[in-house]
This record gives sequence, C-alpha cells and structure tokens, in this order.
Amino acid sequence: MSKYTLTLLIALLAPGLSWAATSPKLTIPSFAGLAQKASESVTITLDPAMLGMAARFLDSNDPQDAATKDVLKGLQGIYVRSYTFDRDSAYSQADIDAVRNQLSAPGWNRLVETRSRKSHADVDIYIMVDHDQAVGLAIIASEPRQFTIVNIVGAIDLDKLHKLEGQFGVPKLDIDSSKAAKPGQK
Amino acid sequence: MNDAAADPLDDELAKARSGDRAALGVLVQAHQRSVYSLALRMLGTRDLAEDLTQEVFMQLNGNLRSIDSNKHLRFWLRQVASNRAIDQLRRRARLQWTSLEEETQLFSDEEDSDPLLQRHMRALLAELSPPARAVLLLRYQEDLDPQDIARTLDMPLNTVKSHLKRSLESMREKTAGPLPVRCEDNST
Amino acid sequence: MSNDIESRMRAALRPVAPREEFSQTLLARTLIETAARPKPRGFTAARLRPMAWWLTASLAASLVLAVGVHQHLEQQRLQQSGLEARREVLKALRVTSQKLNLAYEAVKSQSTSLDDEKSGV
Repeated sequence: MSKYTLTLLIALLAPGLSWAATSPKLTIPSFAGLAQKASESVTITLDPAMLGMAARFLDSNDPQDAATKDVLKGLQGIYVRSYTFDRDSAYSQADIDAVRNQLSAPGWNRLVETRSRKSHADVDIYIMVDHDQAVGLAIIASEPRQFTIVNIVGAIDLDKLHKLEGQFGVPKLDIDSSKAAKPGQK
Repeated sequence: MNDAAADPLDDELAKARSGDRAALGVLVQAHQRSVYSLALRMLGTRDLAEDLTQEVFMQLNGNLRSIDSNKHLRFWLRQVASNRAIDQLRRRARLQWTSLEEETQLFSDEEDSDPLLQRHMRALLAELSPPARAVLLLRYQEDLDPQDIARTLDMPLNTVKSHLKRSLESMREKTAGPLPVRCEDNST
Repeated sequence: MSNDIESRMRAALRPVAPREEFSQTLLARTLIETAARPKPRGFTAARLRPMAWWLTASLAASLVLAVGVHQHLEQQRLQQSGLEARREVLKALRVTSQKLNLAYEAVKSQSTSLDDEKSGV
C-alpha cells in the first residue's frame, strides 16, 4: 500500500523551497456577485486580534476547546470563504482563479491535488514552508454546488492539527512525528 | 374605526415638544418595545438591536418638533428603524444570518408561544433579504396594511405584496414539512 | 389555512421587551440628551421656570446610572464579541477539517484502487 505523509512531503519539498517575499496571507476577492447567487455563504475572517480574543474564551477544561487553543498558538489568521448554490455549475473556475493564481507565486507548493469522481470534488492543498515550519496553508475545494477557500496563516503545527482528529472529524493524516522522513521513501 | 378618537399619547407628545422631559420619557417607554423588536428581528443580535434602538431615539430627540401626533410618531419610528436596519445590513457583509446563534431570543416566551413555529420563523427571517424582512415584520409585528408598509419603506405597493406573498408561501412550506434540521456540516 | 398561518405568525412576532438595564439606559440617555439641547427659539417667558432641585438631582442620578450601566454594557459587549470569535474559530476549523477529509478520502480511495489493481495482476 502506498502511503505518504505530510511530514514526508514537506521533507521532500523543503530543500527546494524558496521562502521569498510572498505573503502566506492570500488576497481573497469579495465574491459579491457569487454571494448573491449563493443559497448559503460562510465568510470568516479571523485576524490576530480576533484569534487572541477567541483563545481567551476557549475553555481549557473542555477537550475540544483545549485542542483548538493549542492549534491557535502561533497562528496569525484564519480566513474562510465558502459558497453553496442550489444548482450545479453556478460558479466557474474563473471565479476561483484569482485565488489559485496567487498560489503559483514563489513560496507556495502544492502538497496535494485530488480529483474524485466518486464525490465529484476537487481539492488542492498548498503549503508555504519556512525552515521546515509550515507558515501558510491554503485549501481550495471545488464541488458541483459548493466551493470553499481556506487560508491559514502562521506557525501551523501539523502535529497539533493531527491531534484535532476526532474533535472535528479531522482525518488521520498519517503523521507520526517519531518517524524521520526519508527522501524517496514510499 | 374612529380615526379621530383621542390618543392619550398625543398630549404627552405635545408636552415633549415643549421640552417636558417626563413626557418624553413616557413616549420612549411607550414605543421602545416596538422599535427594539423591529431592530432585533432585522439585525439578529441583541447588541446590534440595542445600538439601533438607541440611535433611533437619539434621532427622535432632534426631530420631535416635526412630529405632530402619536400616529405620526409611530410611523416615523417604524420608518427610521426599518431603514436604518436595512442600511446596516447592506453595509455590513459580515451580518450573515448563517452565523445567527440560536441563543439570541427573537421571540417572546409567553405561555402560548409556539417554539416550533418560532423555529420556522427564525429560518424564514434568515432567508429573507433585508427589505423583505422589513416588510414581513411591519405586516405581522406592527400590523400595518400593505399600503402603509409601502409608504413606510418607500417601496412600490406591488413589491410589498410580492414580498408578503413569497414569505407566506415559504412559511406554508416550512410548516407543512418536517422540522428543519440544523445543518452544521455540509458533507457532500 | 392562510389565516391560521398569519395569526400564528402574528403571535410569534409579538413585540418583545428589551432588557430592563437597557430600558433604563435608553431613558437616561434620552433625557440627558434632551437636557443638553439648547432651549427651542421662541421659548416665551411664561414657560420659563427655575430648574427645581429635584430635577437637577434626577439628572445627576441619570448620568451616574447611565455611566455605570454603560460600563456594564461594554463589558457584556466584549464578552459577546469573545464568544462570537470563539464560535467563528470553531466553525473555521470545522470547515477546514471537512475539506481535508475530502482530500483524504480521495487519496485513500485512489490508494485502494491502485492496490486492488496490483493484486489483480
């Protein structure tokens, strides 16, 4: 069975990664036209101030809150835009290209590209790395009636993200921090 | 209905216009519930509703002398509250009813309250555009007829009727079907 | 029946009272605002009267009340904002995890197909 881990990919990519002046924070358009067409839209903008405020209101005694608080440490921002439509193909790829084009700038690397015939969902995951530390994460998910853009900025601790497994239904990402990733290993 | 029947608040208004603060207080207390409820159901959160209610009555202070009867005052308050709320909703893209918390109490909890209907009503309010929401509230909260609603919102009468018709249809669909499930995860 | 639905909607939309604290603040602020306004022009001598001591006292009391309530409201507002921020964070992470899951499922499914192909050879 072929497996790969995010740690492995980062290890493979790290030597070749260029940490240029590209910002890990994407410029996300307002999507005003699409928002009007959407049956449901989710717009979340959490800058450092909001994240700090949220962290103060997370209950350390609650497992979900505690794990979330841990993930938030070191983060500078979380930005989500998600639009759901009543019919297929209500949006075009061109709508998302303004964001996708930014991810071809130096510093961003496509970690995962999935095209699923079963769920008709295309998901691309990009990561920006600086000295073996993930400093930016971008997810673009296109489904027939929904598209979602997620941008997380800051020191993303993949181990902690892994520990959120089960809290939000985060899947096992096969990250085992005890194993050293070797280039070329599959 | 005798439109000429004396409205006791007309006296208070006359006094308030002359600078009688106690009379003004009476008017504020008489109308704050209606203004607050409009603001709350338009904007969806208590904080925003309180802010808007405050703004409306502050504005009233400056316009009292141009209001000549309690009936006119009611019209003025509804107009200002509705229009300010609509403007606010248009300006603030973040005021998404998709993030409306169930804890915000939009409806009264009197004995004969219908929690199931309230849930449908909440869903209906969330899906309506700001002007349509205002139309619905002016009709069923303030009991205005479509012509008065059109005048209040400066909206064509046919548009008002159209909003009402669609809202009623939507409400019928909701009450005919099963209780809407609160969907948190859009798993596809 | 349309009338039944409409009457139930009217019942559901009966006006609700604001919080008592807010009512008091609203009243206090409105009265203070009025007191601060200059007297309207043409205010005849006949209507002038010296401000009674009790009126001064009540204004002062209103001011103190308004300030105290304002501070309390500010605190409540901060708390509301904090709770809202928390909700937004949880929602953002939920959406993130859903999309990661989509990718994971696709990769897993592809892996399974490849393995099936290999064993079928």
